Amino acid sequence: MNNLTFGRYSPFNTCVHRLDPRNKIFMMLLLMVSIFLKVDSWSTTLILTGFIFLFLVIVMIISKIRFLDLFKSLSTMWFLIIILMVIYVFIPNPSYNPNHIAFYIGTYGVNYDAFYQSGYIIFRLILMVMITMILTSTTSPMDLTYALEWYMTPLKLVKFPAHIVAMTLSIALRFIPTLLDETQRIMKAQASRGVDFNRGGLFKRVGAIISLIIPLFVSAISRSEELSNAMEARGYDPYAKRSRYRVLKFHLSDLFAFIIVGAIFAGFLTLRIYDGYIIKIDFIYWIFGAKPLF
Amino acid sequence: MAIKINDVSFSYLKKTPNEVKALDHVSFEIPKGKITSIIGHTGSGKSTLIQMLNGLLLPDSGFLEIDDFKVTSEKRKNKRIKDLRKHVSIVFQFPEYQLFEETVEKDVAFGLKNYGLKENESIEKAHLALKEVGLDKSFYKRSPFELSGGEKRRVAIAGILAIDPEILILDEPTAGLDPKGSELILNLIKELNRNGKTIILVTHDMNIVLNHSDYVIVLNDSTLSFKGTPSELFTRDVSNYSIEIPELFKFALLLKEHQLNIDIEKIKNVDDLINQLKEIK
Ligand SMILES: Nc1ncnc2c1ncn2[C@@H]1O[C@H](COP(=O)(O)OP(=O)(O)OP(=O)(O)O)[C@@H](O)[C@H]1O
Ligand SMILES: [Mg+2]
Repeated sequence: MNNLTFGRYSPFNTCVHRLDPRNKIFMMLLLMVSIFLKVDSWSTTLILTGFIFLFLVIVMIISKIRFLDLFKSLSTMWFLIIILMVIYVFIPNPSYNPNHIAFYIGTYGVNYDAFYQSGYIIFRLILMVMITMILTSTTSPMDLTYALEWYMTPLKLVKFPAHIVAMTLSIALRFIPTLLDETQRIMKAQASRGVDFNRGGLFKRVGAIISLIIPLFVSAISRSEELSNAMEARGYDPYAKRSRYRVLKFHLSDLFAFIIVGAIFAGFLTLRIYDGYIIKIDFIYWIFGAKPLF
Repeated sequence: MAIKINDVSFSYLKKTPNEVKALDHVSFEIPKGKITSIIGHTGSGKSTLIQMLNGLLLPDSGFLEIDDFKVTSEKRKNKRIKDLRKHVSIVFQFPEYQLFEETVEKDVAFGLKNYGLKENESIEKAHLALKEVGLDKSFYKRSPFELSGGEKRRVAIAGILAIDPEILILDEPTAGLDPKGSELILNLIKELNRNGKTIILVTHDMNIVLNHSDYVIVLNDSTLSFKGTPSELFTRDVSNYSIEIPELFKFALLLKEHQLNIDIEKIKNVDDLINQLKEIK
């Protein structure tokens, strides 16, 4: 019942927390793109993504994110993972190497490549979760929206209502912890009426979820009404020019962090471009001089 | 059989910079068959404590004994938690926000179905519970969302009553109600207690403490600072508990100071005082 804390901002004061949120968002994008740059050889791809994994683990340690929280959030995805596995293993794919049959189920040969493929996808999914988790646990929702608004500033030239979008976003983000608290409150209340959110068959579970969702909607709607009234009462004007309590600053440490992430990204990009065109990149082959296992 | 709280500690947001200590080595007993009030300033740990009594929260250290149930810090050891929740039920603060079914009777029956009763049986019991909280037939088929605040509150309470727990905990049941609505609920509580239920009330209203409870627990800054009867509490120096002694009680104390023969322990409401004064004459 307490695994709702995933990705919630935890206000430590580490060097990752102190980085400029604009920089953090940009670095996050670079890392996400890096994850999706795949080279032809499986072994090399896995080594590369493993490298990013290690990097993220170090960042998580520095920013004091608990691995337990990561496991908790991943444990809610096991269903997705199984479905992915099944799809990849049992749906024939012409790009799989026909010599890589692992075993037969009846006459259908299950290909090793299917396992690599699905394992790789799941691995990337985990990395994505880690990246977003690092961003949201080390950056306050307010800072995130400031950063997003900053990125949208050029759009103001084409009359894009950047501020309104940012305000909407910031309210939405601001409400996430409130709604999580509310969710927990309602879960406890329904548990007092004998609802078991962790066990029971499909039918029971759907009932449990309904008993949670409806009160949650009712309270969210009434909250949003209260908030809009309160904002109006205090004279909120979306088109007014506004000043800022906290000004975002790009520090030396930001430059440093950016160089690290930028280097990772550049490295990945280079490998991706070289792969196949100029030379075939296969670390295992280079290092051991042997034909790769996969 | 009794309710024992044994050296219980609890913190929220453990191992984060925002860690809050909500209960700090608290021990006391709650008598069965009585109405006990738990009071204390806001943030003193009242709601935290009552959530442990039916296993919604587990203590970090120490344990609770509720009749033959035991709530400890170890998750695995709390096996009969669903039975415990049927034995000890909580009406949370503003329970009207947990209504969700299409009709009042279905909402009240919801808990019963969760504990394995059949549809028609549970609806029957729901009707009884609704009657207990003073809502008649005309409410059965109405949507809970179109009721007034006080009516919603009563539907929510009926939803818990229907489960027929032995121990009933109410967290500020009269908050936000008009005097008449409060009165209705307090009378209901008294009636339930008379029929043998153990009641635990969390409240900020000292008149409720004086008038409706047999026993009172004061929490202060996550620790226990008083246990005893209301009149014992109000005759003490309560200046550091952030408690306001009820005017009626102050008045009775004053009369006693002026040599009037008043039995302070028996003063629960205005009528008690008037009756005692009549006898003095
Ligand atoms: N879900 C939560 N997360 C973090 N801290 C919490 C949470 N719930 C309560 N607290 C904190 O724990 C402490 C005790 O809270 P609790 O709700 O038990 O107080 P209370 O006595 O019920 O107060 P009130 O009279 O205002 O209802 C408070 O400091 C509160 O801020
Ligand atoms: Mg409370």
